Amino acid sequence: MTTRTALTRLDTAARVLAALFGGYAVVYAATAFLSVYLPLARADRVIFAGLACFVLYAGLFIYAFAARSAVRVWLVFAGLGVMLGLAAFLPSEFGVRP
Amino acid sequence: MSLRQSMSGLHTWGGLLPSWLLFVIFFAGSLACFDKELERWMRPALHQPGVASLTADQVRDWLHERAPNAHAWWMRPPSEREPFWWAGWEPEEGAEFQRFALDASSGEVLTDTVGGMFFFTLHYELHAGMLGMYIVAIAAMAMLIALVSGVIIHRRIFKDFFTLRPAANGQRAWLDAHNLFGVLGLPFHLLIAYTGLVIFVVFYMPAGLKVAYQDDFGALFRESTGYFERGEVGRPAGPPASLDTLLTDARQRWGGGEPGWISVHYPYDEAAVVDLRNWVSSRVTDFQWTLSYDASSGELLHEQKPYGAGYQTQSWLTGLHMAQFGGTPVRLLYLLLGLAGCAMLVGGLRVWLAKREARGGYGIGLVRALNGAVIGGLPLASLALLWGNRLLPAGLAERSRAEAMVFVGAWLLVALWAVRRQGSGRLGRDLYVVGAVLALGLPVLNALTSSQGHLGATLARGDWALAGIDLSLLGVGLLCALLGWRHRQPGEVHQAGRRESRRLAEEGV
Repeated sequence: MTTRTALTRLDTAARVLAALFGGYAVVYAATAFLSVYLPLARADRVIFAGLACFVLYAGLFIYAFAARSAVRVWLVFAGLGVMLGLAAFLPSEFGVRP
Repeated sequence: MSLRQSMSGLHTWGGLLPSWLLFVIFFAGSLACFDKELERWMRPALHQPGVASLTADQVRDWLHERAPNAHAWWMRPPSEREPFWWAGWEPEEGAEFQRFALDASSGEVLTDTVGGMFFFTLHYELHAGMLGMYIVAIAAMAMLIALVSGVIIHRRIFKDFFTLRPAANGQRAWLDAHNLFGVLGLPFHLLIAYTGLVIFVVFYMPAGLKVAYQDDFGALFRESTGYFERGEVGRPAGPPASLDTLLTDARQRWGGGEPGWISVHYPYDEAAVVDLRNWVSSRVTDFQWTLSYDASSGELLHEQKPYGAGYQTQSWLTGLHMAQFGGTPVRLLYLLLGLAGCAMLVGGLRVWLAKREARGGYGIGLVRALNGAVIGGLPLASLALLWGNRLLPAGLAERSRAEAMVFVGAWLLVALWAVRRQGSGRLGRDLYVVGAVLALGLPVLNALTSSQGHLGATLARGDWALAGIDLSLLGVGLLCALLGWRHRQPGEVHQAGRRESRRLAEEGV
């Protein structure tokens, strides 16, 4: 029983951390991604990406608690964050086009 | 664990922790819907309708005398809701704005007060600058998540809209109240939390700024708003062109529109720029239509174009939050829905408490004390601030700071009292009685300290902005008196029926 409670607590703590920090990191990468790839003028890309970011954060937060396990949450967040982040920050010329 | 169960945990704890902070933000924001009316109430010199004879040039001379080397001067002409001139300056770029209210006919500086803006600042940054802004943003994000998870755990969202069982045991009744106000206000609450975050989005999520603008905020601002700027040239300014002549020109270009904020940037420099902004209250988005003139030749340098799609969308969302369109009906609606938000928060806190009072748990004393300290403390401190506004002598040095101290002191007193009396069952009654005395006393105090601001005078001349505040205070006072009367017996700690708690537990509450 006590091991199970401890495990549940660990799982909850891992989800809370994933939601707060992992979630923010993914949203950061996604906002950067949209600011680079949206087919709009530069100012509009940045602003529309910003408008989307809170909705995305709320969605990721819900997912962090709805997913089957905390490990899964961390894997999904890490995968998404790395992919979106690399795509956003590697091509330095494309992002600053007007 | 089912989705509803996991969301229930998220809703309970993710909702509880920011509750008190959200209450402060909601309550202050609701009052801030009528910040300009409160501002006028707090300045008895403005209670009598006067004639606005002060000209823009006179205000500029006033600024020139006091701050010839300021980075920028700002002024705003009188309007219906603010029948006086705002005048102030930015000592240096980005430095704190020095703000004064000038009598629209005599040009004298009005008695110093924190004014209705106190509640506006409390609402968006808790009087804690940038740090406060970030704290408010975190609370708003928590609110958004609590709303979404709340909708997911809510099985019968439509049916519960029509369900209130006040005679039921504590937890059931408070849950009904929480649901009623939560569902009633849901579209508004989603809107207000989201649009509140949108206002300063670039601060909270700077990723786009970094990747597309290399962190150059000025460039993003210029590109999105079409704002005009020209640098200083380092030569002294020539004699200034008349602002009033420029205003006449601007009114023509705006097709009869009225000016809002007027600014003069680096007034000491040859390249000084006068910006005249159009002010529109009939639209959600006001792109300001800024006209920039050379400050000495009066030549029109630049006319602002309407915003691009992105910034237009953002300002529309911002405008929805600020409620500066649509006049009193819209502000009244926002006030009532904001108070519904407060009621939802109180209901949620009471559900948390009632459930644990029935079967025991950690933190009951802490939550009770915080409820008394924040939910009782903030409204009482706000009333105390209005008392301080009238009772502090007019010539007092740093008078607005003294008013703020009255607010803080009153809040601390209530907080200490709430901590001492938590669990006694008498705290509610005591707070209602104090609230009734403070609220009912204010219209009387107003009558004693303002010859033209009392209900007799304001109702007679149809001055609903001022009369509305006195009438609301009377209403709040009577409500507090009624609630205090109903709580005259020490409340027994709620003993929820076991069967009812089990049923609630089965429903996943």
